[in-house]
Amino acid sequence: MPGTATPEARGIAAWLVREMQAREVRICRYERLSGGAIQGNFALDVEVVGGPYAGPQALVLRTDAPSGVAASLTRAQEFDVLRVAHRAGVLAPEPLFLCRDPAIIGRQFFVMRRLAGVGAGHKLVRDVALVPDGPALARELGANLGRIHALKPPQPGLDALPPPPADPARATIAQCRGYLDAMDDAHPGLEWGLRWCELHAPASAEVTLVHRDYRTGNYLVDAGHLSGVLDWEFAGWGDPREDLGWFTARCWRFGANDREAGGIASAADFLQGYESTAKRVITRGDLDYWQVMAHLRWAMIALQQARRHLVGGETSLELALTGRIVHDLEYEILHLSEGAAR
Amino acid sequence: MSDIPDASDLLAAARDALLRELLPALPGDRRYAGLMIANAIAIADREHRSGGDALREETSRLRELLASVTGSAAPQDAVQASLVTGSSGSSATAAALRRALAAAIRAGAFDVPPQHDALVAHLRRTSADWTAISNPKALHERWRSPSSQGTVPPFASRNFSGGQS
Repeated sequence: MPGTATPEARGIAAWLVREMQAREVRICRYERLSGGAIQGNFALDVEVVGGPYAGPQALVLRTDAPSGVAASLTRAQEFDVLRVAHRAGVLAPEPLFLCRDPAIIGRQFFVMRRLAGVGAGHKLVRDVALVPDGPALARELGANLGRIHALKPPQPGLDALPPPPADPARATIAQCRGYLDAMDDAHPGLEWGLRWCELHAPASAEVTLVHRDYRTGNYLVDAGHLSGVLDWEFAGWGDPREDLGWFTARCWRFGANDREAGGIASAADFLQGYESTAKRVITRGDLDYWQVMAHLRWAMIALQQARRHLVGGETSLELALTGRIVHDLEYEILHLSEGAAR
Repeated sequence: MSDIPDASDLLAAARDALLRELLPALPGDRRYAGLMIANAIAIADREHRSGGDALREETSRLRELLASVTGSAAPQDAVQASLVTGSSGSSATAAALRRALAAAIRAGAFDVPPQHDALVAHLRRTSADWTAISNPKALHERWRSPSSQGTVPPFASRNFSGGQS
């Protein structure tokens, strides 16, 4: 239980004393952060006495929510990905310590440094004070994504990830069909989207590390600049174009639909930044195809979220309403796949 | 009009009370929950008003579509079973027909015209009808977008006044 004087907080403090080689760690704040329907994120402010981390430290403790969505990484895997990405210069929270011992808070967790900035998508796309120069921010986001995509398998430190797929597009289609087959109802609109993706599957690109949730709402902006990308639980090996479709998909523009790059700027600005670090050229056709795939993947996640509410024992209005966006996503998939959109 | 407020009247009044009386009194960190409840009530009201029509029309289109692919690449067992069971407008019938259509799509029965065009027309109409219930703003945005000017919204003939707020 959060709180600074609970047995759980005392357990965390004792664990941090060992990990930080400190004489003492005092917990000043330990409370749930908003956002993140899947993982539990907790703000953790500590005062460290002695050792290399002496002084005040603003941290985030990240753990699993009671029931996770399929295809998300374990906290140990996510910790590995974050460490490799952070060392490669990707703007992301610096991961500090992983706790595999379930005795301390009841589940695995890790601790990372807390970045400054605003993450809420609906604020970032509207508030000029937060994002005074959208094109510049989009270039930073593009360049940062390019640095992720420069990481290719095999990669030391990432042995625990599932192996790279031979044909990422078809692997994603097969995975989505597996999810649909596990549902109680059939979804012809999504089924058609998957068939369309199968019929129009691109030639395979080079497989790279992909984030799979790189979008507005999952990064922090501080003083108008990108401070880091969060929520790495879906990361893995895949087709880098998948991340570009996800970032630019209409469902992640928070209503600012005329700014294709996450409601922040044009796709051209974002791609200019991307191509500066990724050394890879992205076509309009790539974006169109992977935007269809993005809506399909989001629909699968939304269906799974709804199931958590319906049958997973997690009654939640937020999860229930997430299920209702599937209609909207199907509508968008048809527009995109039949060339009537944008 | 009837003498006694019906389900829609109650939902509308409940939403109004929430938005006018409760929401302004909520602390900032509860505002999002209040807005989610208002949204859920609005969806439930729209589904109550037009969900039955949407389901009946979807069901009859599903029957036509599936009848058009009998003898094709579609999985025939599923198609035949779905065409004979259930009454129109029941959600169990719609579910069986959707299952058959999904299987036929996956088997490639709708890859090329004329089946492809009929499928896309059906799916557009169906997803538009249900989006008009779940998130009507998404449809309105698309009417205004330059690329869709001149196209008739697929549900223009129907009265969705409950969802225009």
